[in-house]
Amino acid sequence: MADPTLPIATALLLPLLSFLLLGVIAPLRRLGRGAGYVSLLLSCGALAGALLGWQRTFPEPEPIRLLTSWLPAHAGPLASVGLLIDHASTMMLVLVALVSCLVQAYSLGYLHDEPRASLGRYYAYQSLFAFSMMGLVLAPNLLQLFICWELVGLCSYLLIGFWYQRPAAARAAVKAFWTTKAGDVGLLIGIVLLWRHAGTLELLDLRLLAESGRLAPAGLSVITFCLYLGAAGKSAQFPFHIWLPDAMEGPTPVSALIHAATMVTAGVYLLFRTEWLFALTPDVLLIVAFVGAFTALMAAVLACVQTDIKKVLAYSTVSQLGYMMAAIGSGAAHAGFFHLLTHGVFKALLFLGAGAVIHAVGSNEITHMGGLARRMPQTVIIFVIGTLSLAGMPFFGGFLSKEEILAAVWAGGHPVLCLVLLVAAFLTAFYMFRVVFLTFFGVPSEGRGSAVSHHAAATDGPPHSAPHAHDPPLIMAAPLWLLAIVSMAIGLYFTWQHPAPEFAAAARDTVATVPVPGWLSPLAVVVASSGILLAWLTYQRRTIDATRLAAAFGPIRHAALARFWIDDVVMLAYRGGLLAGARAIGWVDRYLVDGVVNALSAAVVMGADRGRRVQTGRVQDYLYGVALGLLALITWIGWAR
Amino acid sequence: MTLSILAFWCLAVALVGSALAVVLTRNLFHSVLWLALALTSTAGLFLTLDAEFLAAVQLLLYAGGLITIVVFAIVVTKRMVGERIAHTSRRIGGGLVVAAALFAALFRVIRTAPVSAIRPPMPGDITKLMGDAILTRYSLAFELLAVLLLTALVSAIYFARPED
Amino acid sequence: MGLSSYLTLAAIVFCIGLFGVVTRRNTVGILLSVELMLNAVNINLVAFSRFHGQTLGMIFTLFAICITVAEVALGLALVILLFRTRRTVLADEIDLLKG
Repeated sequence: MADPTLPIATALLLPLLSFLLLGVIAPLRRLGRGAGYVSLLLSCGALAGALLGWQRTFPEPEPIRLLTSWLPAHAGPLASVGLLIDHASTMMLVLVALVSCLVQAYSLGYLHDEPRASLGRYYAYQSLFAFSMMGLVLAPNLLQLFICWELVGLCSYLLIGFWYQRPAAARAAVKAFWTTKAGDVGLLIGIVLLWRHAGTLELLDLRLLAESGRLAPAGLSVITFCLYLGAAGKSAQFPFHIWLPDAMEGPTPVSALIHAATMVTAGVYLLFRTEWLFALTPDVLLIVAFVGAFTALMAAVLACVQTDIKKVLAYSTVSQLGYMMAAIGSGAAHAGFFHLLTHGVFKALLFLGAGAVIHAVGSNEITHMGGLARRMPQTVIIFVIGTLSLAGMPFFGGFLSKEEILAAVWAGGHPVLCLVLLVAAFLTAFYMFRVVFLTFFGVPSEGRGSAVSHHAAATDGPPHSAPHAHDPPLIMAAPLWLLAIVSMAIGLYFTWQHPAPEFAAAARDTVATVPVPGWLSPLAVVVASSGILLAWLTYQRRTIDATRLAAAFGPIRHAALARFWIDDVVMLAYRGGLLAGARAIGWVDRYLVDGVVNALSAAVVMGADRGRRVQTGRVQDYLYGVALGLLALITWIGWAR
Repeated sequence: MTLSILAFWCLAVALVGSALAVVLTRNLFHSVLWLALALTSTAGLFLTLDAEFLAAVQLLLYAGGLITIVVFAIVVTKRMVGERIAHTSRRIGGGLVVAAALFAALFRVIRTAPVSAIRPPMPGDITKLMGDAILTRYSLAFELLAVLLLTALVSAIYFARPED
Repeated sequence: MGLSSYLTLAAIVFCIGLFGVVTRRNTVGILLSVELMLNAVNINLVAFSRFHGQTLGMIFTLFAICITVAEVALGLALVILLFRTRRTVLADEIDLLKG
């Protein structure tokens, strides 16, 4: 049995090395593509380390923990950092390393026209992100997890605002930062409360405490709820989901890596890592499940009306995160984690495929595309593979994981939620194929030339006119194919070897287990197929008029176009509550606090101006002082005697 | 006994009178001369206190050396100014009050202090005792005094050197 | 004559000196007044020394006289320097430290 520690540690530290190289050595960073090659090389090394470490964990049933005390104290270290290596963390590590590596390669092609210095900056951020995310995944305690959690949040902020000259990008970055920070406050409070409650933040120790029932149940639900708040912020659960669609202002590879495959799943991962804690608080689990299912449905509805290809994918991500949360909330954390992994692969694939389209067309709007299948044959195959995976068709990546979630939710005793998720699945198939048909098939839309030049400034790809659209260069195509193959391989492998005992049976004893009916899985396939059919009829055959379909769902469509007014409500709360409060406090500070200080200082200045006249500068006047002092001294001595 | 009392009073009157003249006269040169008289009277007082050596030093160094330096300085300054130097006083009232108050305070202390009126016999010849002490016990201070005088002379020359 | 007579005399001379120091306008005049004050101190020292029957005060007076002479030499050099730079020897016209 080989020790997985060394390759895993290598995988963690290589991106850090890359970041330090690019961050400290300015000439290297300014090389641009050279910096990209350095980062890519080290990232490949990290991927190799992660794969090797993952492979080595297989016969190992016990998690390996490697700790370094960080804040030593007399009674054991107050805080420690290190690695926690088990199946789940290494699998997640492989996902992070894989997507990060592929995205870095893809970016070399996608950001071809970027100035050198800013490309170097991009790769420095990418490396930092890879390191932080791996640190988060391997965190043996909640403290390290929180630190890395904030680091990935920072990287997300930096990369969303990568084109900071654009006001929209800068605003989106700030919005993402604010919204996730709101959840992170909850996470921090939760961690501190947990420290007070259990006296340790080590995951293994906590798990031992939780499973042996030595953790007092009183107040535990507050803690888990606070942890959930952080997870909801990061994983874009309602009502924190508002930042994720805006985060699409960043470069598309960034969206693929951070806002689809890895960082946004950190919340799910946190809940998965602490599922034994949440199992003690069924009330909070119920909230998790309901909010997750609601988020899944709501985001799916929102995705149906978007015309920006990246926003569709963003809402789809929110929706899929809702699925994962619903699974975890139903007590089947493994099902959620399984979906996290498959979703990470095919959603990265979808985003990178969308990036290829945007790169070729120069616009984000699907209405400006159409009939691209002939010009981009590779891309369409890849994109359809990703779409079928997302829709949950058999033999594709997302099939089994989605079925597992549906089964888990049913088994967890929430048939209503299961129904909601089925509706969401129908919508998922519908909106994804709407994108496929509008983008790759059908007729090219009219008046594209003017529209493209109009939109070129607002999109991230270099402006091309659609007639010249072509498949991406090899450096971009290779990651796409690799992801497509991995996605297919997952689907085929798990079809051949059903992981039911590991995932479906993970519904815990604490949750009432209901036998899963056999018709659930075929039903899901039928639902997804009907979604595809509807999209085909509407957007390809035009048998159903799209405008009439829209009119049928008039009020919902109207509300969805306005994003259900959630952004407005949050904005109102932000403007009316936070900003007004800040302004009031600012007024108090400026006029009351500063007023007192200013008055005091003015008095001092005035007094000093009067008082300085004492200082005449003439030596004899000072001598009067000496004489008076002497007099006082003598008098004092005389009195004292 | 009566002779010593008489001497004291005469010297006291001369001292106070010349001191007053020093601070009151409007002529700087007269001021210096009055100071010379005051210092000489002090030398006389030292004699009444049996300090003959000190009286001699007072006369030689103070009344002689010091007055010579000051006169030189005045002459030099006068030549530089080219006119008579103003030697007036100002704020006489304030000075008077402060001086009187201080004297009152001092006088009160002196009057209430337990001071003896008898002179104990000295353990030997005062001059010889002083000489012994200076060249044995206080020799270091004595040497330092020489250094100090040298320093003062050099720096006085430096300060007063002709402009380059 | 008792010790207190000498002390009173010294106090008178001291106060006269103080009066001169604070009223004289000419810096040379101030220096002369300082000499008066020091002189009064010397009288005190010698008188205490004699009435206590030891020579310590007298030795101190000796040192004081020497230092005073040095001080006067230096002070006058400063006055001359001052006159060169400021064209005045009047103390109330020298107020560089005025606040």
